[in-house]
Amino acid sequence: MARRTLRLPWAAVGALFVAALLLTGCSGAALTPSSWPGLAADAETGYVANNQALYAVDLATGAERWRFPSEPNRAIALYAPPLITDDGLIVLGGFDKTVYAIHASDGSQAWAFAQAKDRYVGGAAQAGDLILVPSSDHTLYALQRASGALVWSFDTRAPLWAAPLVDSDVVYLPSQDHTLYALDQRTGKLLWSRDLSGALSDTPVLVGELLLAGTFGHGLVTLDPGSGTPGWTVTTEGWVWGNPAADDAAAYFGDLSGTARAVSLEDGSELWSYQAGSDVVASPAVGESAVYFTTSAGAVQARSTADGASLWEVTLAGPVNTDPLLVGDRLLVAIAGGDVLLAALDPASGATRWTFAPAK
Amino acid sequence: MWDTVILNPMINSLLWIYDLLWNNFGLAIIVFTALIRLVTLPLTLQQQRSTQKMQEMQGSKAWQDMQKKYKDDKQKLQQEQLKLYQEVGFNPLSGCLPTLIQLPIIFGLYGAIIRALATTPTQLLELANHIYDFIPSSIIPLNSQFLYMNLGQPERLYLSFLPNIGIPVLTILVVISTYFQNKLMTPPTGDAQGAQMGKVMALYMPLLLGYFAYTLASGLALYFVASNLLAIVQYAATGKVDFKKLLSFGGNSTPKPKR
Repeated sequence: MARRTLRLPWAAVGALFVAALLLTGCSGAALTPSSWPGLAADAETGYVANNQALYAVDLATGAERWRFPSEPNRAIALYAPPLITDDGLIVLGGFDKTVYAIHASDGSQAWAFAQAKDRYVGGAAQAGDLILVPSSDHTLYALQRASGALVWSFDTRAPLWAAPLVDSDVVYLPSQDHTLYALDQRTGKLLWSRDLSGALSDTPVLVGELLLAGTFGHGLVTLDPGSGTPGWTVTTEGWVWGNPAADDAAAYFGDLSGTARAVSLEDGSELWSYQAGSDVVASPAVGESAVYFTTSAGAVQARSTADGASLWEVTLAGPVNTDPLLVGDRLLVAIAGGDVLLAALDPASGATRWTFAPAK
Repeated sequence: MWDTVILNPMINSLLWIYDLLWNNFGLAIIVFTALIRLVTLPLTLQQQRSTQKMQEMQGSKAWQDMQKKYKDDKQKLQQEQLKLYQEVGFNPLSGCLPTLIQLPIIFGLYGAIIRALATTPTQLLELANHIYDFIPSSIIPLNSQFLYMNLGQPERLYLSFLPNIGIPVLTILVVISTYFQNKLMTPPTGDAQGAQMGKVMALYMPLLLGYFAYTLASGLALYFVASNLLAIVQYAATGKVDFKKLLSFGGNSTPKPKR
């Protein structure tokens, strides 16, 4: 009898435990990475942020130079694209609501800023002696570059997931509240704002006198950088997450319906397009005669800028939602969710030069 | 299969209601919970009827006599119980089947709330691939603020005189409302195993759901509270609720045999 009274509760508790596992498992939250790697590079070193560490990788060999933090810290989750400042700092925010400034030379910490109320998803931008960091708590923080002290802040109505664009004294801030804000760089005062009818999740692009911004309102929008007056637009089937890359004549971008395209900078008319086969989240990289698109299915596709003809295509072992970078004669591609975190490809052929898989 | 049949319809219903209710996700969760309870009302009623039938049977003299007669022979007792079930036309599975059917709905709803709030890039990209064409993209991202809460984060209330201590108000409400729901809606049983199970559920269920509410997104805790309160209201509407049960501790009593 005594045995039965013991067994019965454990059976019930076991059933509840299974239900708990199912409930948390069904969300998928425990298994899926929260974001994709953040990537930046100078001439010699690539910096890739992925979950618990920021890795500095030698671009000649693919070897790790240092990592931050040097010991694993489960409290830190770094996914923002790192900012490389003029004076040799690497700055990025984490999901732990903290901005870290790290010496590029050895990976040691210079300062940290921990006043935000939510995580950092987007990268930082440098504006003279200021570091501008967008936070998911809806606020853009302007910090002193040398110390990380707060200089000014600007509040919006929704999370900020992308670095602002800095041009002279003006800061262009994309927000998920559907608005592009133009701010005075020194004071953070609002110069103008424009509702673009869709969330903005990437840094706008300035080409001559044309400001380009992709939106979740199914399209690419252009604006006058001085006044925010809208110009031509391109309607797309899916959300435009990554903003265009541009050369002198065309803007290249993709959307979440999987369409990649080139449009004229004159009037937005389509020059060419093709179906990439999966979500195009990242901004493409543009070379002299080729543009490189990546997809959530892991494809890296090189197309002729002239007519969109396929030059080569390779498929990597995980989603490529991080903006690819052309650095010298290497195309750097960060891969989400696999052992290999970074690959250097030959831009002419797609052949792999080296791969970087962090040692565990 | 899971996404197509359960998750996608739930996410899109939730987003559609959110769009109708002035972009208020808290209200959308409450209304969606009410709709779910309405849709599953036939199952709930069937479960209640089955429970009542079981209760009547366990209160009968034949049942009580059987318990006494075969108290030392469990195998024989089970055979006789099954025989009695057949005689009165009672299917023991008819009580738990509706509960089993509701489990995927609970799991789906949790997944829908978490995915709809999409607080990270991966979640937002996943949401984009789940949204039907008729949902306007202008509602993205959802406003996760409801009263003082961020529905995408665990809830804590910070009072001005206790700035460093977050009070988990929703967690407390989840524990209390789950306990009340169990006390009010779990019928007395003549079966010792059933009574023991009832006690365990009455104790552990509030703690388990309280743990979920404390650690997971508060949107889920809001669903638990709304669902518990609506279940009690629904049960009260059938006229069977006995609020005196709230004052009794240690599980529900065994029904007295009918003479």
